[in-house]
Amino acid sequence: MQPAIEVNDLRKSYGETEALRGVSFEVAPGEVFCMLGPNGAGKTTCTEILEGHRLASSGTVRVLGHDPARNDRGMRERIGVVLQSCGIQEDLTVDELIEMYGRYYTRSRPAQELIELVELDAKRDARAGSLSGGQRRRLDLALALVGDPDLLFLDEPTTGFDPHARRQAWSTIRSLCSLGKTVFLTTHFMDEAQHLADRVAVMAAGRIVASGPPQELGGREELPTEIRFALPEGVEPADLPSLPAGAEVAGDREGVLVRTSEGMQATHALTGWALERGLELRGFSVAQPTLEDVYLSLTAGDGPAPDSTHLEALR
Amino acid sequence: MSTGIGEQAHSERAAIGPPQVFSRNLSLLAWQVLYEQRAFWRNRRRALASFAFPLMFLLIFGAITQGAKVKGDGNIAYINFYVPGIIAYAVMVIGFTNTAMSIALLRSEGVLKRMRTTPMPWALYLGGIVLSTVITIAVACVLLLAIGVIFYKASVNGAAVPGLIVTVAIGTVCFTSLGIAVSRFIPKPDSGMPVLMLIVLPLSFISNVFFPIYKPQALVEIGKFFPLRRVAEGIGPAFKQTQGSGFVGHDLVTLAIWAAVGCWLMVRTMRMLSAKD
Repeated sequence: MQPAIEVNDLRKSYGETEALRGVSFEVAPGEVFCMLGPNGAGKTTCTEILEGHRLASSGTVRVLGHDPARNDRGMRERIGVVLQSCGIQEDLTVDELIEMYGRYYTRSRPAQELIELVELDAKRDARAGSLSGGQRRRLDLALALVGDPDLLFLDEPTTGFDPHARRQAWSTIRSLCSLGKTVFLTTHFMDEAQHLADRVAVMAAGRIVASGPPQELGGREELPTEIRFALPEGVEPADLPSLPAGAEVAGDREGVLVRTSEGMQATHALTGWALERGLELRGFSVAQPTLEDVYLSLTAGDGPAPDSTHLEALR
Repeated sequence: MSTGIGEQAHSERAAIGPPQVFSRNLSLLAWQVLYEQRAFWRNRRRALASFAFPLMFLLIFGAITQGAKVKGDGNIAYINFYVPGIIAYAVMVIGFTNTAMSIALLRSEGVLKRMRTTPMPWALYLGGIVLSTVITIAVACVLLLAIGVIFYKASVNGAAVPGLIVTVAIGTVCFTSLGIAVSRFIPKPDSGMPVLMLIVLPLSFISNVFFPIYKPQALVEIGKFFPLRRVAEGIGPAFKQTQGSGFVGHDLVTLAIWAAVGCWLMVRTMRMLSAKD
C-alpha cells in the first residue's frame, strides 16, 4: 500500500536559518495525521513544501506518489488545501465560487452537497467579501473539497474560531475522515490534535521530537497519575496514610500533590482515610498528565510557548 | 480500503487524452473570462475607477469644448481630436492601471496562492484575466465612440477604422502586458494607486490626450517616446477626413516595440509570481 505522504530527511534553510532539520515521516491512506508544534517550529514550511509552494533544500518528498516540486496537474487534481489565510475573489458569490473552482477539477463534487456540508445554505448568494471570518473559513473548506480530493491539507484550520465554531469544524473534519480521505493537519492546539488525529508528530525547532497516537505520545501512558487536594486545618501532609510504593507527596496543606504510578490504589487509600476520619478533601482531583504536559516538556525551550489562553481551556 | 477508492479515482482522472485536454483548457479559459467579467462589473469601485472615468471625461470635455477647433491639427473640431485621445486614455487606464492593481491585489491577498493549489493551469488563469481586460477595453472603446458620435457629432472616417482597430489592439497588448509587469513592484495595493497615478497622470498631460501640446519641445519628445501618445495618434485618422485605411506606420512601430518589451517583462513577472523559493 503506497503511503499518501512520504517524507525522508527533509531539510529547508533560508540563508543561515534552518527551518527544517531532517524531518521524516509517513502518512498512511485514510489516516488523520497531525503536526503539532509552537509557532515557528517549521510546520508551515513543511506543509508548503508538501503542497508544492516551496522547494526543499534537500531530502525526498512524495505526495500521492508525485514529487510536489514538479507541481503537476495530476497531483493537484487529487489534493485539497486549506491555507492559513488565503484571499478569495470577493466579488463572486459562494455559489459562483464553488462552481468556478469546481470547474478546475476533472471530477468535482456537487455544489449543493458542499454547501450543506459546511452549512452555508443561508449565504449561498452572498458575495464572498461579505462573509464573516468563520463563514469564510467554511467556504475555504468547501473549496478545498470541491475536487473530491484523496488528500486534504488543513493548515491550522480553526485558528481564530470561537469555541462553538471549532466544535463544528471538528465534526466536519471527522465526517471527512469517515469518507476515507487522508488528512494532513497542522495545529498548535493540543485539544485539536487530541480530538482529530490518529497520529501526532510534535515538531520543535525544525525537528520531529516525538510521534505516535495522541494517547501514547511521549510515553504519556507511563507518566504518573497526579492527585491533588487541600487538607482541612490542623491536618498536615505528614499525617497522610501510607501510599503505594514510589508515590511522591509534594506541596503544603493548601495544595497537596501526590504523584504515583498506582493511581487507583492511592486514590482508594486517600479517600478511605479521609472518610474514616470525617475529613473533607477540598478540590480532590485525579488526573492523567494531559497531552499539554507532554507537549510542553517536549517543546520546552524551543521558540515561543503556545497560546496560553487556549491551554487554560484544557484544565 | 481508501486506497482502492483513491486509485480508482486516479485512473479515472488520468484517462484524459491530449485532444480532450486542449478542448477542456479552452472551455476553462472561456469560463474564467466569464467569471472575471462578472467580478469586474460587480465591483463598483473598480469599474468606476477604470471604466467610468474616461466616460465622464468625454462627457464633460465634449460639453465644454463644443464648437472649438484644434488649430495646429488641420483645424479639425476639438471633439475629433479628443475622442481618439480619450480612447487611448481608456486603453491605458483599463489595460495598465486596472490590471496592475488587480494583480497586485490578487497577489497580496493570496488568491494567486490559492489558485496554485488547484489544477487550473497558471497561464490559463492569467490568460482569463487578460482576455477579460480585452473585452472591457473593447466595450469602453465602443461606448466612447458612440458617445462622441451621438452627443458631440464626432465624425468617423469609416475607411480608417481598420487603423483604429489595429492601433487599439496593439495598444491593449502593450498596456496590459506592462500592467502585469509592474504589478511585481506593488507589494501593498494601498500604496500602488498613488504610484500608478504618478505615472499615468503626467503621461496623459504630455501625450496629446486632453489637449494638443506643441511645446516645450522636451516634453513633446518625452510624450512621443511613450506609448500613450502613439495610441492616440494612431487612432487619429479615423476621425479625420483623410484617405487610406488609417494605418500610421511610425506609431504602430513604436507601439509594437513597446508591446514586445511589455510581453517580455510580463513573462518574467509571471514566472516570478509563480516561482517557489
